[in-house]
Amino acid sequence: MAWHDQDSWLTWVFSPSISAIIVTALIALLLPVLIHTILYRTQAQASTASFLLLGPSGAGKTSLLTLLERGSTSATHTSQTPSSAEITLPSTIKSASNEYRSENDSSFSGAQRFILTDTPGHGKLRQFASDKLDAKTLKGIIFVVDAANLSKESGGRAEEGLTEAAEYLHDVLLALQKRYTSAKTSKGPKELPVLIAANKFDLFTALPEKLVKTELEKEITNVRNTKSKGLLDSGIGTSDDAVEEEKEWLGDGGEGKFEFRQMEEVNVFVDVIGGNVTGADGPGVGKWWEWIAKQI
Amino acid sequence: MLDSFEIVSTSGVVLWSKQYVPVGANIVNSLIRDIFIEDIRTSGDPGQKPTYKKEGYTLKWTVAKDLGLIFVAVYQSLVHMTWIDKLLDNVRTLFTGLYSEQLKSKKYSSTEYPFDDYFDRQVQELESKNDGQPATPARRIPTTDTTPPSSSEGESAPAKPSVQGLKVPNRSIHADSSADATPVPTPDASRPASPAAHILQAKGLRPGGKLSRRDRQRAKTASPAPSSGDEGRPTSKGGKKSNTKKNRVWDEFGLADHADDNTQLDYSAPADLDEATSQAVEHVEESTWGKRTGKGEFVLKDLEDEMDEILSKVSAGKESSSNSTNGFVGSSLGAIGGLFRNVVGGKTLTEADLEKPLKGMEDHLLKKNVAREAAVRLCESVKVDLIGAKTNSFTTIETTLRSAMERALTKILTPTTSLDLLRSIQATNRTGRPYILSIVGVNGVGKSTNLSKIAFFLLQNNFRILVVAADTFRSGAVEQLGVHVRNLQELSAREGGHIDLFQRGYGKDAANIAREAVQHATSADPKYDVVLIDTAGRRHNDTRLMSSLEKFGQLAKPDKIFMVGEALVGSDSVAQARNFNASFGSGRGLDGFIISKCDTVGDMVGTLVSMVHATGIPVVFLGTGQHYADLRTLNVSWATTLLMK
Repeated sequence: MAWHDQDSWLTWVFSPSISAIIVTALIALLLPVLIHTILYRTQAQASTASFLLLGPSGAGKTSLLTLLERGSTSATHTSQTPSSAEITLPSTIKSASNEYRSENDSSFSGAQRFILTDTPGHGKLRQFASDKLDAKTLKGIIFVVDAANLSKESGGRAEEGLTEAAEYLHDVLLALQKRYTSAKTSKGPKELPVLIAANKFDLFTALPEKLVKTELEKEITNVRNTKSKGLLDSGIGTSDDAVEEEKEWLGDGGEGKFEFRQMEEVNVFVDVIGGNVTGADGPGVGKWWEWIAKQI
Repeated sequence: MLDSFEIVSTSGVVLWSKQYVPVGANIVNSLIRDIFIEDIRTSGDPGQKPTYKKEGYTLKWTVAKDLGLIFVAVYQSLVHMTWIDKLLDNVRTLFTGLYSEQLKSKKYSSTEYPFDDYFDRQVQELESKNDGQPATPARRIPTTDTTPPSSSEGESAPAKPSVQGLKVPNRSIHADSSADATPVPTPDASRPASPAAHILQAKGLRPGGKLSRRDRQRAKTASPAPSSGDEGRPTSKGGKKSNTKKNRVWDEFGLADHADDNTQLDYSAPADLDEATSQAVEHVEESTWGKRTGKGEFVLKDLEDEMDEILSKVSAGKESSSNSTNGFVGSSLGAIGGLFRNVVGGKTLTEADLEKPLKGMEDHLLKKNVAREAAVRLCESVKVDLIGAKTNSFTTIETTLRSAMERALTKILTPTTSLDLLRSIQATNRTGRPYILSIVGVNGVGKSTNLSKIAFFLLQNNFRILVVAADTFRSGAVEQLGVHVRNLQELSAREGGHIDLFQRGYGKDAANIAREAVQHATSADPKYDVVLIDTAGRRHNDTRLMSSLEKFGQLAKPDKIFMVGEALVGSDSVAQARNFNASFGSGRGLDGFIISKCDTVGDMVGTLVSMVHATGIPVVFLGTGQHYADLRTLNVSWATTLLMK
């Protein structure tokens, strides 16, 4: 029975019989619904927002990850490998894209989730972090610093803490700036917010948010100055594309004082928010939750 | 006594820990930093696990590479513990065996691992095993501490030493007694089977099994209750019977063990038990027997049996894997599959796969002038990293190996601390002290030249510099520095730089000159910011010359000591770096390397790796030419690309 026969299925489809009409109507009605549900489901799960946890060793990155993941902290040690976890926002906080969405919407819970990637903060292992900076789904960077280990006056150990944090932050911001300046399109990459999470606010010696910000800005200015006066590195001049390898300076061409505000030119928005992962009165990470919720 | 035992994932989360005495987190942190990240080697007997000492604690550890776990045992250095190695191994196999599913899942870090019971058993077992041998008093104390909870009577202590000897008699008595006892309830087919089963069970017992036997009995008396509650009366009889049967035999076991004081062992009502057994026995059938034993054993299975099972499974697995690759068809098919997978990827790497590419990699590194010792160790570490790993899709073993080697090189060459010289000079000057920098090295590597290059760089940043000629040995050394200083003065005069030479002629003690120079720099007006001390070149294996460096380090108190090494030198670089690093006495070492003559070797920059690898000290500067401006900092990715080219 070929398709052009009298009683083939094609003839039946075009015949004005009641069964053919019913079948056509069913297909016409159900197909859009089916396609909608399929697309809707896949869309909602396709791109989960991801965040990157950076910061010097001992700032509390892994603790923060475990706290956000399971609601309680666990003992941690120096990390050697990155790890990531899928985290759901607490029910009290709605993510920005969920603001007008009903809680019964199937995509609601999808937009409440995000992936948080913890990276080792040790100096030798920061390559893991820099590899992940240009991920497509990256919605923000959380740079954890130890607010109790930043004050200049206390000298010694704390000063090292500030220097280390500032150097790392300088490198991260420079990488983000390069991402913007070396972009192929004129529009540049999407904006990328950076949260400087001043951790350990439960401690007596912790600096307030404002001071954390100014101290870091001051120290980054110092880092930038000495970097600009320092020697060229061995990569320059030896490789063939020497013209492209010009040094870049962070913010405003490397002149004057550095401020986080200058980074907005390259679509990087920096916030400094305090909180604490552990503490006698329980963790205080509510503001960080809200910041994360604002980005997804 | 064990202070703490922790199971840490490489991502930094403590999965499980047991603390007997609170131990600061910094102890384990420094272990991870020093051993796992910085890769400092520890000395130790080859047969034993490596140890790491910190603040009066000794740490021993083992790793499960495939799961990314580190098992660390912490104890006081004063205590000598022989069974830690065994404990670590057992805990590793147990933990990975018990929780392999959970550990492989994505949420492994947030899972609970109820490992306490298993661990306590292991510790008890190993401690009691050790007690069988002549034990030190220190070790005996913990056992007497831990035994009371598990055995309520004091008689276990005197019985302890003879436990080893008791093991065999026990079993025979037990076999006899069961044969005696069973005819009473039943002449069934189950009878011959039951002693066998009990013997099997008894075999599982350890020498120190006395405690555990009681525990088992207790567990057993507790366990039938829920099962009988769940099921109906008649059906539960089967299960209950098997339990009680075993129970009874265990009971007897106990009786045989202490014939004189038998009553206190009996926790349950004996009359009840007999009744239950005799009732149950009537219903025994051949078909239910096997099932029942299985079920019964499952109910009875206590931690120790489970642990033994896991441990023996692993050792059996090891044996079988060693002789699994025979049979012609299997091997040839495997070879074809392996070739295919080598191209497509997704192959799990074994030692045999890696052998040839690793040899090639080693040769490649040797050609790049990496010292053999460093090359071999690098390859070893990469091999350990890769065994058991899977290649990505469409990558060959060679590519995987290359990227792993690149990662290893990057990790080695990346400095841990900041190398920003200008910042540290500024920080030191803020305290009102000049920054003292001294340079050491073998003869003719370019100490004076690199010193003047550094001086030029610092002059450009407007520091006031004092150059100290502490080479009082080689004729012309002072004059050479004088020429450099004069040149630099002329070069920097317009920019407002200031540089002077401090010299006391030849034949004096270098350490004293250095001290004088530092005093001069501090007291001068205006003060000098930086003191650069040039030292005499010395052969690194000449102990007489090297010993004077210790005094030099103490008197001059340099903020930074840099060693100059030639890029031209081959395998001697490792010994040079090590000897110079050790020459300043304990608590002081080198702070960095300056690799000179890098422009003369092209891409054979292996010396960088050899020196850093031997000591873990970063490369600060590279000398790349004849001019004052030919000084560079190290760009790690540049170096790795050159090395892997």
